[in-house]
Order: sequence, then C-alpha cells, then structure tokens
Amino acid sequence: MSTLAVTEAPHIDWAGISSLIALFGGAVVVLLVGLLRARFARLTLVPVLTIVAFAASIGLAIWQWDEDTSLMSGALGLDPLAMIGVVGIGVAGIAAVLLSIGATAPREAAHGEYHAMMLVAAAGGAMFVGAENLITTFIGLELLSIPLYVLAATELHRRRSLESGLKYLIVGSVGSATLLYGFALIFGATGSLDYAAIADQVAAKGLGDDPLMLGGVAMVVVGLAFKSSVAPFHQWTPDVYEGAPTPVTAFMATATKVAALIAFLRLFDGALIGASDAWGPALAALASIAIIVGNVGALGQSSMKRLLAFSSIAQAGYMLVGVVVATKLGVQATVFYVLTYVVMTAAAFAVIEAAERESGHDGISALAGLGRRRPLHAIALTLSMLGLAGVPATVGFVAKLRIVQAAVDGDYSWLAIVLVVGSMISFVYYLRVVARLWTDEPAGVAVAPQSQAVEVEAPEAVATTTAVADPKGLPAAAVPGGGAVVVTGATILPMTVLAVVAGAAIVVLGVIPGPLMTVVEDVARAVPELFR
Amino acid sequence: MSPAEAAWIVLLLPLLGSVVLGLGFRVWRGAQAGIIGTASVGLAFVFTLVSLISLLGRKEEGTRQITSSLYEYVNVGGVKVELSILVDPLSLVMLMVVTGVSTLIHLYSLAYMRGDNGYTRFFSYLNFFVFSMLVLVLAGNFVLLIVGWGLVGAASYMLISFWYRRNTATTAGIKAFVINVVGDIGLVLGVILLLRHTGTVDFLEAFHGAKETFGEHGNGSLTAGLLLVMVGAFAKSAQLPFHTWLPDAMEGPTPVSSLIHAATMVTAGVYLIARLHPFMELSQTAQTVGMVVGCLTLLVAGTIGLVQTDLKRVIAYSTMSQIGYMIMGVSAGAYFASMFHLATHAFFKALLFMAAGSVIAAMASEQNLDKMGGFKKAMPFTYGAFVIGGLALSGIPPFSGFFSKDEILSVIGEQGGAYWLLYVAGYAGAFLTAVYTWRMIFRAFWGPPVEQAKELEGGHLYHAPDHRNPATGELEDTEVGFPGPEHHIAERAPAMKLAMGTLALLAILGGLLGIPKVLTPLEKFLEPTFEAGLAGHAVHPGNGIIIVGLVIGTIVGAAGIYVAYLIWGKPLSQGQPATTHSSKWQAKFAPVHRFFLNKWYFDELIDYAIVRPVRWFGRFAHDTFERLVVGGAIVGGTSGAVRGASALVRRLQSGYMRAYSAVVLSGLAVLLVYFLTQS
Repeated sequence: MSTLAVTEAPHIDWAGISSLIALFGGAVVVLLVGLLRARFARLTLVPVLTIVAFAASIGLAIWQWDEDTSLMSGALGLDPLAMIGVVGIGVAGIAAVLLSIGATAPREAAHGEYHAMMLVAAAGGAMFVGAENLITTFIGLELLSIPLYVLAATELHRRRSLESGLKYLIVGSVGSATLLYGFALIFGATGSLDYAAIADQVAAKGLGDDPLMLGGVAMVVVGLAFKSSVAPFHQWTPDVYEGAPTPVTAFMATATKVAALIAFLRLFDGALIGASDAWGPALAALASIAIIVGNVGALGQSSMKRLLAFSSIAQAGYMLVGVVVATKLGVQATVFYVLTYVVMTAAAFAVIEAAERESGHDGISALAGLGRRRPLHAIALTLSMLGLAGVPATVGFVAKLRIVQAAVDGDYSWLAIVLVVGSMISFVYYLRVVARLWTDEPAGVAVAPQSQAVEVEAPEAVATTTAVADPKGLPAAAVPGGGAVVVTGATILPMTVLAVVAGAAIVVLGVIPGPLMTVVEDVARAVPELFR
Repeated sequence: MSPAEAAWIVLLLPLLGSVVLGLGFRVWRGAQAGIIGTASVGLAFVFTLVSLISLLGRKEEGTRQITSSLYEYVNVGGVKVELSILVDPLSLVMLMVVTGVSTLIHLYSLAYMRGDNGYTRFFSYLNFFVFSMLVLVLAGNFVLLIVGWGLVGAASYMLISFWYRRNTATTAGIKAFVINVVGDIGLVLGVILLLRHTGTVDFLEAFHGAKETFGEHGNGSLTAGLLLVMVGAFAKSAQLPFHTWLPDAMEGPTPVSSLIHAATMVTAGVYLIARLHPFMELSQTAQTVGMVVGCLTLLVAGTIGLVQTDLKRVIAYSTMSQIGYMIMGVSAGAYFASMFHLATHAFFKALLFMAAGSVIAAMASEQNLDKMGGFKKAMPFTYGAFVIGGLALSGIPPFSGFFSKDEILSVIGEQGGAYWLLYVAGYAGAFLTAVYTWRMIFRAFWGPPVEQAKELEGGHLYHAPDHRNPATGELEDTEVGFPGPEHHIAERAPAMKLAMGTLALLAILGGLLGIPKVLTPLEKFLEPTFEAGLAGHAVHPGNGIIIVGLVIGTIVGAAGIYVAYLIWGKPLSQGQPATTHSSKWQAKFAPVHRFFLNKWYFDELIDYAIVRPVRWFGRFAHDTFERLVVGGAIVGGTSGAVRGASALVRRLQSGYMRAYSAVVLSGLAVLLVYFLTQS
C-alpha cells in the first residue's frame, strides 16, 4: 500500500472517444507522411489519408450512435448530439480536403502541416460539440480556433491571406477571452464546472437572476456569438472569409458553424436552461439583428466569398432561433438546419473554388455564363443558392420550415416573422447569383478546354499564377511552356464531384427529408434539462 | 385509374418535360423542343380528362373529395405534413382550365416563338411554370400550397425576364418578383397564424374543424390570418394596391402574357379564396375586404385601360379588372359564378392575347395602338378572333363572358343592402370593359390601313429596319429578344391558327357551362366542394334578378360598344385627321385623361410612400452611420495614431481590428447592462 495520495484516474472509455482518436491519430500520421519526399506521398497520400481519418471519425461516430453517457467524469458527453456534430464536422472536413486538391494554400504551407492542422481543428470541433464541462468547452474551442488562425494565413504570398489570419487571430482572441471570463463568472456563481451540476445549481439556488451568474451568461453569449458570427459580433467574418484561401473559408464556414451552434445548444438549452427567462430575449434580439444585418449586408457584395460571409451571418441568425425557443423542437430544428447548411455551403464553395481557379478571382462576374461552360457546376450552385434562400423542393425549405415551426410553437412568433421577412430579402442576392450563372456570356475569360491558357486579369491572381507555376508542387495540370495557368478538367474534378454530390443531396433531402429528420429526432435526448 | 392516380400523372408530366428540355437543351434546339414541351402538357390535359371521367363515375355522396398522399414529408411536434394532393371538383375545374389553355398556348408558341434563339429554354420554362401552377392547384395542404405559390412566382419571374438582354424586361421581372414576394410573406404568415389554431395542415381536416376551432362567427386570429393570406392572393392576382407589376409584366413574350398573366397564374388568388371558403365564411371582415378590393380594382383598372396606348397593356388592365370581378364574387359567396367566370375569362383572354400577338408580329414588335390601324383586311383571321374575344369580354350574348359575368353580379345583387353598391359598380365596370375592348378593335383593325397593313395585304410581312425595344425605343441586338430574325402571324402559321380557333370556339360556347336555371353542369359538378364546408348561406338568385341582370348586361355592353364606335370607329368625314373624335374627348377631359394615363399615379404613390423612404434610410445608414460613426469616430480616431507606420503595417493593422474589437466590447457592454437589469 502506497502512502502517497492517490488520485484516481478517471475511467476512460476508449470506444467512446474513438472518433476523437481517429482525428488526432490521423493528424499525427498525416504530419509524418507529409515529410516524405516522394511527390506521390505529398500530393496524393496526404489528402487520401486525411479523408480516411475524417471518414473513420464519421464511421466511429455512427458506431457509437446509440450510446448516451458521459465520459471521463462528465467532461465529454457521448450522445447523439455530439455524434451528429462529429458527422457534420467530418463531412465539412472531407469537403475542404477535396477543395484543397491542387489549391495554392496546401502547397505553400506544406501539405502535411496543412492537412494535419485541418484534422486538429476538426478534433477541436469534435471536442467542442461533446463538451459537458466548461473546461473541455474552452479547450475544444481553442483547439478548433488556433489551427484555423494559421490556416487562414497559409497562402503566404498573398497579403490578403496573411491579413486575414492576423485579423482572425486578434479579434478571435477577444472573443475567446470574453468567453473565458464568462466561464469564470459562471463558475464563481455556481461553484461548478459541469453542465449538469450548473443546471442543478441554477435550479436549486434560483440563480436565474443572480448578477454574477447573469454577468457570466452575458459574456458567454458574446463569446459564442463571436464564434458563430452572429451580428453584431460578426465584423471579422467578411474580411476573414474573403482573405482566407477558399478551401479554408469553406471549412471555417461549415465546421465552425456546426461546432458553435451545437455548443450553443448544449450550453444554453442544457446548462443554463434555468436562466432562460433572462437570456431568451437577448438571444432573440441577437438572432434578429444577425438576420437583418446579414441579409442587408449581402445585398451589395460583388465578391462571392463576401456574399457568402454575410449570408452565413444571416443563416447563423436563423439557426439561433432554434436555440432561443429552448424546446425540443427548437433543438431538432437547429441541428437539422446546421447539417443542411453544411451541404448547401459545401456545394457553393466547390463551385466558387473551381471558378476562382479558372478566372483568378472570386467575383460574381467570374460566374457569368457558367451555365454554358460548366452546366454541372452551374446547376449545383443554383441548387445551393436556392437552398440557402429556402426555395421549396430544396432541403433549405424544409430546414426553414422547421425553424419557423419551432419559433411559432415556442411563442416567438415575432421572431418567425423576422425570419420570413429576412429570407425574402435574401432572395434578391441569391437570385442575382443564379441569374448571373445562366445569362451573360463571360467577358474576356476564355473557355478552358484541354490546353488553352486562361487569361488572368485580376492583380491578386498574380500571386496565384506564380504559385501554380512553382515546379515542385505542380499538380497534374503542368504546362509544358510554363508561365501560363492552365486549367484542365483534372484540376477541377474534385470540385465537380463535391458539387454534384452536394447538389444532389440538396434536392434529394429536399424531396425526401424524412430519413434525416428521423435521425435528428434523437438529438434532443442530449439535453435532458429541457424536459424537467 | 382512380382520379388521384391520374392527377399525380398530370403533375408529373410537365415537370418531366421541363427537366428533359432543361438538361437536353444542347440536343434539341429546333422544333423537337417545342414538340416535347407541347406533348408533355397535352398529355397532362389528357390525364386530367381521365381524372375527370373517373371522378364523375363516383356517384355516392362524399366520395368526390379525395386526398391522396405520396409519402410523409415532415412530421414534427405532432404536425404532420404529407406530400398530398386534393382532388375534388374545384381543383379539377382549375386543372382543366390550366392544362387545357396551357396546351393551346404551347401549341401557339410552337409557331410564334420559332424565330427565337431561346426556343428550348422557353419551353422548358413554360413547362416548369405549368408544373408550378399544378402544384398550387392540387396542393392538399397548406405547406404544399406555399410551395406551389413560391414556385409560380419564380417561374413567372423567369418568363417575364425571358429576354434578359432587355433592361426593361429584367426590371419588370424583378418588380413582379418583389411584389409577389410581399404576397408570399403575407401568405406564409397568414398560414402560420391559422395553423396555430387548426393544429393540422391538411385542407379537409382543417375545414371540417373550422367551426369548432374558430367559433360560429370566427375570431380575431382567424380574421388576421385570412387578411394576411389575402395579401398573398391580391399580390398574385394583381389586385389593388399590389397590381403595378402586371402591366409591366407585358415585357415577357406574348404567349407568356397569354398563359400566366391572363389564364392561369393571376387567377391563383381567386382559387385560393375559393379553396379557403370554409374559413372565409366565418369572417365577415375578410369577406368585406375582398369584395371592396375586388370592386375597386375592377373600376380603377377599367378606367386605366381606357387610355393606355400599348396594346398588350390595355389587355393587361382588362385582366386586372376581370379578376376584380372574380375576387369580388368569390368573397361575396358567388363561388360557382366566380369559377365559371374564371374559366370563360381564361378562354377569351388567352384568345385576345394571342390575337394581339399576331398583330404585334405583323407590326414587327411595335405595340403602340397609335401606330396601328386598318388590319381588318390584311388579317381576317386575327380580326375574327379578336372580335369574338372582344364580344365575349364585353358580355354580349350569347358569348361566354355574358353568362359568367352576369352570374356573379346577380348573386351579389340578390343579397341586397350594401351589396347593391357592388352590383351597380359591376355594371359600370362592364360598360368600361366594352368601351376599352372595342377601342382596341376599332383602332387596330378599322380605319385606313397603316404601312405595315398595306404591306401585308400585298402578301409580304413587314420587317422593321432595325430592332428596337418597343417600350423605350432603344436599339438592341437580335440575338435575344423578339422578334428575332423572323416572326409569325396567325394567318400563316397553322399551329397558331389551330390554337386560336379552338379558343374562339370555347369563347363562344363556354356559356353552355352555366346558363342560369337552364343548363348548369358546372354548378352541379362543383357542389361537393362548396356544399360540404358551407356555413349555410348559399345564395341562389331568383328568376327576377337573373332576367333583369341579363337585360342590363346586354344593354350596358352594347352601349359601351356604341360609345367606342362613336369615338374611335365612326368613319371620318373627309379631311379630318384620324384621331379627331378621340382627341376632342381627350381635350375635354384633359385632367381625367392624364390621371388615367398615369395609372392613377399608383407607381408614384408606392415610390413616394415606400421606395423613397427606404432608399433614404439606406443611404442614411450607409453614409451617415457607417461613415461618421464607424468610419469617422471609431476607425478615424485610431488610424490617426498609426498613420506614421509603414504601409504594410497600416494595411494589416489599420485600426479596423480595433474597431471590430471595439464593437465586440460595446456589444458586450450592452448585453451586460441588459443581463444585469434582469437580475
């Protein structure tokens, strides 16, 4: 018998955290493989392994679907809400990896590091969505954010990318600090870090109107609103989205949104449900501000990435509505929305990345006449825009319908009205994009069949040009003559695949939403506090 | 085949056609595209007939309203939404009209649009529109209704802006879309309000429980919900004050005007109110609003139609006015009569638009009535079609419009009291109708032939020296936009002739669907829909008022034609300029003329009341708030401090981030204050 103080290590359920392990393990393997000198290892093996790691985490999450417990002394929840978060992030990750094939960013940052960071960020996200404890929440958040700060700046030759990374880092730190401060205050008020215990304390001691507690809640609202880019804490979003390399933007737009919204659900509809009288109206106000600011802001944009940034602000507002109502329906609606949002956004970014490679910029004008040149891309982007706008027969309509229903059911009819009006405004800019796709012929941008050089006009694209011409990391589309950028079907193929798959999903799920809806039914189990 | 099975096939066919054409636009560039498009809608009409015959085969009470569900669409929180259609006499009548008239219009377009570069695209859109309209009509629940409603708006936008190189066309498309979206918001919110009480989205279930849910005389939330729903109906049916998009929508190709802005889409509002009649009858307020709006629309649109000089716009205002009759009727409980008028109006209005299209083609896309004249001899077939349409529209016996319009008015008159005002207004409107209709005929077909007509008489179709936008006179390319390299008139295109001939026949014989007291097949057929949910005050006009109405109708119509003849048709004595009579009238009533010509200043009113304040606010928000508050105070202050730093540093740390952080922190401060006040 040892006389030393015995600290009993918590029991670790390895199966329970297996999807986290897949992501972290994948990161290590990818990092090492990235060091190999062979071109094949860097250009092919690394992305493939990354996809395998993401797929494994999805598979393991599905394997663990029926579990409903807490792991490691209540630090992590193992329940459908966490698992669906892992699946969402995994899908977002796979999409981002596909977009990265042949892109500038991984070449400049080294393939191994780039993909490993993506995996680590995803692991952070997976932790964030499962966290049932303030400490794990914060660790998950930082683990998600820090690699993204770096990823945003990976196009080293482009100042906008560096600027974007720095901006994201600094403004992001303000958000994180606020969140942490809020956690500290909540801990001070309740004396507890576990969500379940916090909920008990709030209920038992009537902390619903305790100043310390509410001060903490206010700061947590700001921190999470920042992460999910809910107005008025959204300002970083357009700049960062526009500046970051497109695959990274796609990952940020999808994975971060999944993680942040699910964290919102867990924290507010779970741990802080007892104070919902206080935070309900505040979040409702934030949601409506986000809906208005996002939709109005998107109206005048000429860059697709900025447009999607503002659109994502509005979408975050819609999703927040499900959190506000604090009902079972609301939880299901938000989760359903966030998953469909991943699919719709992935389709959009796939087409934007492809168009950006062909034209050198991400302006809406780059999409002109795409309907003739690349009908598959044009159809996918059309579906994505219609879906985001909530047009019937797309999955976006079903998602919005559920949110509206949840709002009305939860006695927030006025919020439903804001939502409906907001999405009507959004038609203007979404349809503008669609109209561009199918009407004008592009001016000055040559169609790029097999070996025809594309004229690159935008000054920003110069950096891209030199980077692409870099002989070391040259993809299959190497140019014998050097210098000119050639875009062949091969470079665009991964984007086409992603666009087609996501586009098909938008329609199929829009017409037959039943199965996905059944899956989402389960998630409300994860927030038992709602049913007390 | 059961009625529902056939109806599903009806729904599927145009969708299939649209998708096939949309995907195969590279393969079928020529006539095949038109044939595929026409065949899909034609087959849909055949299956509508199958469905009708099958439904007529069901004799027992209560078996003529069938809800058929394909699968469960959404089921959350006790609210079940199924992908279900409702096949009943009402939806079948609409189905007949929509598929029937659509088939003819496809047939017409087959020839009329032949010279257009976007031939395949046109048929793909047209099929998509028919599909959307069928979703709207067949919807078995509120959710699917909203789906159809939205799709119809989108399809209409695509078709109005079909010639997308034309600025006027895209602007008109956007205008139509925006106003329709306002209507959509109303519809969605209204349905949400209603659903909170009914607890089910299914039409039949909701209607059966209407009285238990809302009480014998309705309640506030029913009225509020219905009024919002009616905003949707008014926007889609171009009723005051949401009508300004319809005349502009004439920028679309003429077959589009004929299909969606005369026969189908604009009648959606009428259909909606008829569909929701079990609710409507519980709310006196909603009914009154519908009647007043319909009545005002029919008068206002009639007066504007008197003075417009654009041929298609005159017909557009006429459509508004006729829909006004239907909205008024359907709100006053004249369901059968309104549906009757809806059907006959679809026949003669589609016919008028087709004839107008033929004239416009002969004029090489010129639409101004001032420049037309004397086409009677050059285009006898078109002239005949126009006259038949005109007689039906003016309500001259025995043409179809005569019976249907008088039926609406006699049901209204029968109810007495304040309804008499509507009754009188209805006949005043009928007088205006006859005048503006015959004004078109006299000006376009009578009088000395213009250059284009003379050329046509000589056997040669007129071609303009250069292509100009008929609305603005701007030069444009022929790549996209009417009339393209060639154009087609009814006299020379068998497909157009066939379509117009069939419609002319229907416009003449359509009255047989409902000659009061004598022959009322339509009324008997529609009974199951309108009796089942009726609150119990079905109005059956007496013999007296019917006969009086028929006589007044004839006199008013004939008088209108005579007045039009005096002003525009009477042969001129020698030496007088062609416009003598009408310009004398114009001079006499100059202010009124100007008022009507400017469409009662509705566009200006909306501009001043809504557009300008919003724009001003937007500018204010952008210029003042963004620049002074965000740009000046926050950014400017900090950027002054870093001005000396290097360009890169300034670029990366321009103070924007501080501004962002500042906003984050001030947002936090606001939230903190809020939360602390909660404690």
